[in-house]
Amino acid sequence: MPQLTCINPNEQAIDVSFESGETILQATYRAGVDGILAECGGGCSCATCHVILNANWDGTLEAPSVQEADMLSFAVDPTPYSRLACQVQLTDQHEGLTLAVAKRQY
Amino acid sequence: MRLGIVGAGQAACTLIAELIRGDFKGDMLVFNGEPHAPYQRPPLSKNWLKTSNDPTSLRLLPEPLETHPSIQWIQASVQSLSPDRGLLTTDQGTYLVDHLVLATGTTAIKPSIPGLASESIHVVRTLDHAQRLHQSLEGVANITIIGAGFLAFELASSLADPSRTIRILAKGIRALPQVAVKTADRLVDQAPASIRVGIEIERFDETMQTLVTNHGSIPSDLVIAAIGAQPNDALATACGLGSSDGIPVDEFMQTAHPRVSAIGEVSLHHQPHLNRIQRIESISEANDSASVCAKRLLGHPEPFQATPWFWSDQGDAKLQIAGLCDRTDDETCLIEAQTELVMIRHQGQRVTAIEALNSAKEFMAARRLLDQGDLALDDLLQAGSVFAQLQSSRS
Repeated sequence: MPQLTCINPNEQAIDVSFESGETILQATYRAGVDGILAECGGGCSCATCHVILNANWDGTLEAPSVQEADMLSFAVDPTPYSRLACQVQLTDQHEGLTLAVAKRQY
Repeated sequence: MRLGIVGAGQAACTLIAELIRGDFKGDMLVFNGEPHAPYQRPPLSKNWLKTSNDPTSLRLLPEPLETHPSIQWIQASVQSLSPDRGLLTTDQGTYLVDHLVLATGTTAIKPSIPGLASESIHVVRTLDHAQRLHQSLEGVANITIIGAGFLAFELASSLADPSRTIRILAKGIRALPQVAVKTADRLVDQAPASIRVGIEIERFDETMQTLVTNHGSIPSDLVIAAIGAQPNDALATACGLGSSDGIPVDEFMQTAHPRVSAIGEVSLHHQPHLNRIQRIESISEANDSASVCAKRLLGHPEPFQATPWFWSDQGDAKLQIAGLCDRTDDETCLIEAQTELVMIRHQGQRVTAIEALNSAKEFMAARRLLDQGDLALDDLLQAGSVFAQLQSSRS
C-alpha cells in the first residue's frame, strides 16, 4: 500500500498507509492520527479536518471546490496549502505526500 | 476508575476518544445495544443511502481507539441500573462500575396509522433501518414521507429517481418550520418531491396501497416516518433521574446522582446560547456534551459553553446553520443570489442563528462570531462586520 506521512499537532511524524480512492481523512482516521476532529464525519460541513500539505510537494491534487475553499477561508490560520482532509481523494500518485494536521481545528 | 458507558453512538465515541487521548487512568465498559461496531448516523439519510451502502465507510472510531486495551465492548442492552451500588444489568450479567455515563440517544417516533402495521412503516435512525429501507426500494414507484423536517427532505433527495414519485406530507401549515420562510421556500422549490401541507392521515388502504387523508388518497407503496425522535431515558427514569424530556444534567453533564452522567441527545441541560434548558438533537450537541463530560472525568472540569450548529445536505444544496433559534424568531435576509441564501434569525437585535444555503463562508464566520458571545443584528448589517464585507465583495 502507498504511504503518506502525517505530522500530528505534537509534531510527531506518523506513516499512514492508504488505498487509492480513499480520502486523506479516511486514511488518517483509520490510523488514529490525533488532531483531526472531522465533526461532520467527512461532509465538508465543519472544517475540523484542516490539514496543511507540504509546500514542496511537487505532485498534483485536484483544486478545492468552492465549498471547501470557502470553509477553509474561515478555518483557524489557513495557508495556501490548507485543505480539508475529507475532500482530498488520494491515488497511487500521492505516495510520499507529507502533510501536517492544523494545530487547532477551532 | 471503572467507567460504564451506556450507548455507542456519536456522544459515547467522542467521550471514549477524548478520554483515551487525555490519558484517562481507568478502564471503560461500553454497552452497545446495536449489533454493529460504532457507526456514524448522519450519512444514513444523505449520500450513503444513495450511493455506498457499505457499513465500513460509516465507521465511527478509528481502529487504534476501538481496540484500545482500556475498553471492553459489551454487545448487550442495559436493562437496569442501580446507581447507589454502581450496578448495571444486561441479559448477559451484572457489571460493577464506579461511574456511569448514559449516552442512550433517541428513538425514532412511528405514527399510529390504522390499517398499516407498525413494522411496515420505515424510519431512518439506525444502520439496520437504513439497510432495510434500501432493500425495500425495488419496484417501489410511490414513496410517501410523513413529516417535513430536514430528515424528510434529505431522504427525498437521497431517494430521488426517475422511476419514483416522492411525496412529503406535512401536518402543519408549512414545510421546514424550523428555518426561515425564505430558506424553506428555496429547499421546497429544489426538492425532488411534491410537498403537501395541512395533511391529516386517516388510515392506510391496503387494497389500493394508498394513505387516506383529509385531502384525498395518496399512492404509497412505501411509507417513511420522519416525525422526530424521543429520548431513550427509561433507564434513568426508573432510578429517579429522568424527566418528561430527557435526562436532566448540570453544566458539567452530571445528573442529580453523583455516580451518573448523561451526554448527547438524551441529555437535558442549560444551553448558554439559548439561555434556557433544552434538549438538542445534533452532532454538535453529542460532541460538545461528551467533551465537557470527558474533561470533568479527566479532572479538568469546564462548563458547557458551545454554540449549537447544524448541517443538512439536500441533494447538491448544502444548508448550514450556526446557532439555534425559535420558530417564531424574526428573519432578515442578508444575501439572496442564484444559489446562495443567507438568512439572519433574531429576536430584536439579538442574533440567534444564521441560516446559510450554499454559503459556507458566512456559516463559518457566523460560528466564529457566535462563539465569541452575543451578536447584534446591526453589527451584521452595518459596515465593519465580516458579513457586510463579504456582502460588498460579492456585489
